[in-house]
Amino acid sequence: MSDYAIEATQLVREFKNGPRAVDGIDLGVSPGEIYGFLGPNGAGKSTTVHMLTTLLPPTSGTARVAGYDVVSEGSHVRAAIGAALQEAALDPLLTGREHLRLQASLQALPRGERNQRADELIARVGLSHAADRKVRGYSGGMKRRLDLAMALVHSPSVLFLDEPTTGLDIQSRTALWDEVARLAREDEVTVFLTTQYLEEADVLADRVGIIDHGHIVAEGTTDELKAQVGRPTVEAVPADPEEAARLAELLARFGDPCGSTKGVAVRLETGDTGLADVVRALDDAGIEVANLWLHQPTLDDVFLAKTGRSLEGSDDDEAEPARGELAAEPV
Amino acid sequence: MRSFSVARAVAWRTLHNVFTNPSLFVPSLVFPLFFFTAFAGGLSRVQDVPGFDYKEGYTAFQFVFVLLQSAAFGGVFTGFGIARDFESGFARRLLLAAPNRSGILLGYAIAALGRWLVTATFLTGIALAVGMNVGGSGADIVGLYTLAVIVNAAAVLWAAGVAMRLRTMQAGPVMQLPVFVVLFFAPVYVPLSLLQGWIHAVAVVNPLTRVLEAARGFLAGTPTEVGAAFGAALLLAIAFSLWAFRGLRKAEAAG
Repeated sequence: MSDYAIEATQLVREFKNGPRAVDGIDLGVSPGEIYGFLGPNGAGKSTTVHMLTTLLPPTSGTARVAGYDVVSEGSHVRAAIGAALQEAALDPLLTGREHLRLQASLQALPRGERNQRADELIARVGLSHAADRKVRGYSGGMKRRLDLAMALVHSPSVLFLDEPTTGLDIQSRTALWDEVARLAREDEVTVFLTTQYLEEADVLADRVGIIDHGHIVAEGTTDELKAQVGRPTVEAVPADPEEAARLAELLARFGDPCGSTKGVAVRLETGDTGLADVVRALDDAGIEVANLWLHQPTLDDVFLAKTGRSLEGSDDDEAEPARGELAAEPV
Repeated sequence: MRSFSVARAVAWRTLHNVFTNPSLFVPSLVFPLFFFTAFAGGLSRVQDVPGFDYKEGYTAFQFVFVLLQSAAFGGVFTGFGIARDFESGFARRLLLAAPNRSGILLGYAIAALGRWLVTATFLTGIALAVGMNVGGSGADIVGLYTLAVIVNAAAVLWAAGVAMRLRTMQAGPVMQLPVFVVLFFAPVYVPLSLLQGWIHAVAVVNPLTRVLEAARGFLAGTPTEVGAAFGAALLLAIAFSLWAFRGLRKAEAAG
């Protein structure tokens, strides 16, 4: 018997007249872990989730969730898991509270517990004010929160979240992240989270798997993955443009030059600790800089290194926060 | 136990939506009433045709047909709802949330029955109010409504099988047309003995003819071909159960 909450071995899903959406992936997610499944559109993330949640039978390979086989013990798997899928399919004619009661009834919660559980979850996801309104009037963020609450009705041990924050505003996204983190930390729920947002995986996931064209191309903690692709970069813009050549000469002592659109940049040989030496050297040389940044490698760099291209969907809005790991304010 | 819990949840949600939305509920009440009024009222002189031997009169003769028709279409309309659930993605939520998926099918069938019972009560009340004769005993009436319940179950299972295979609202005509054809190739307006030519030949082999004749016999208190009628109705219900469960498996396989 395995110790994993989610385990897959050579899992394959092939569609008729189509490519292999998932092509022999191996997974092992420990109980209480948040596993981020990162990849661009069409990489195979949702297909994997559909197989692990028993919505789609695998073409070949095996998978066990909460200790049960997804093919032969599907009913046990469904009783143990909660899932909020990409399209929050809700009934526009039901209220939020009615959705939760329906879900509780589907999961065979005792009648006495249903209302109590519904009230508790409505409050937890911040929908108390709208609980008795039909969901056709809900915003996208409210629907997502209701969807999450429904997935939690029966206190599942494993939670699948398929791109849970797509289309949400920053506030809703942050609130959902807080709740997911709390579930893993306090309730010891195993969370399998698919996303195409680098920041989401970075902030939430204990470990990340990167999937591309149905294959897992990299797996590990975010730090491990970033360490695989390289060292941090220091970038400086001289206060006086005439000093650019001297600045480049000085920075070259700390690492290999690399491209910069704003000033001069080098990949530090000594990692993060080199920044202090750079600042001291600039001071000693009397070179005044207008801006100085320390760029950590991002998951996008990891994706780029592993697949040869940048992650789709990581538009500027998403990429910037990852770059936001700037350790030093402009000097 | 989990099956019943799932069935109860699915049935509650379907009935809740039907009964709280006039656009869904009113047509299912009005159409049988319209058919009853049009057939029984507009064609009432048919009872004067030589050979028309139904002793309770034309209103009762037509009531039985409309009752069975409403049972069948109550099932088909529920099938439309199933197709809508697949198209909107809500069925996926049910498949994901229900530990026992057979309960989903049972829930839709219970909802179809609940929906039809309201229609049947309304239709019966109207028929009695306009003076329909009832010659059958209490047991006969139980027989009549039991046959209608089986027809309702067969129809919803047929429609569910189609809905789960095609998983789109465009499946509506596929669900509706065969039921319409079977209903109207039975002796709808006159007794079987008065039909002639190809329609008589078709009506003789139509299983619904047995059901309709027996149901009219129950209402008149002269049950005929009861065994054949229940046999035909149950056979259809069993066959369509298998059809519906295979449809559910196909929907599961399609994800």
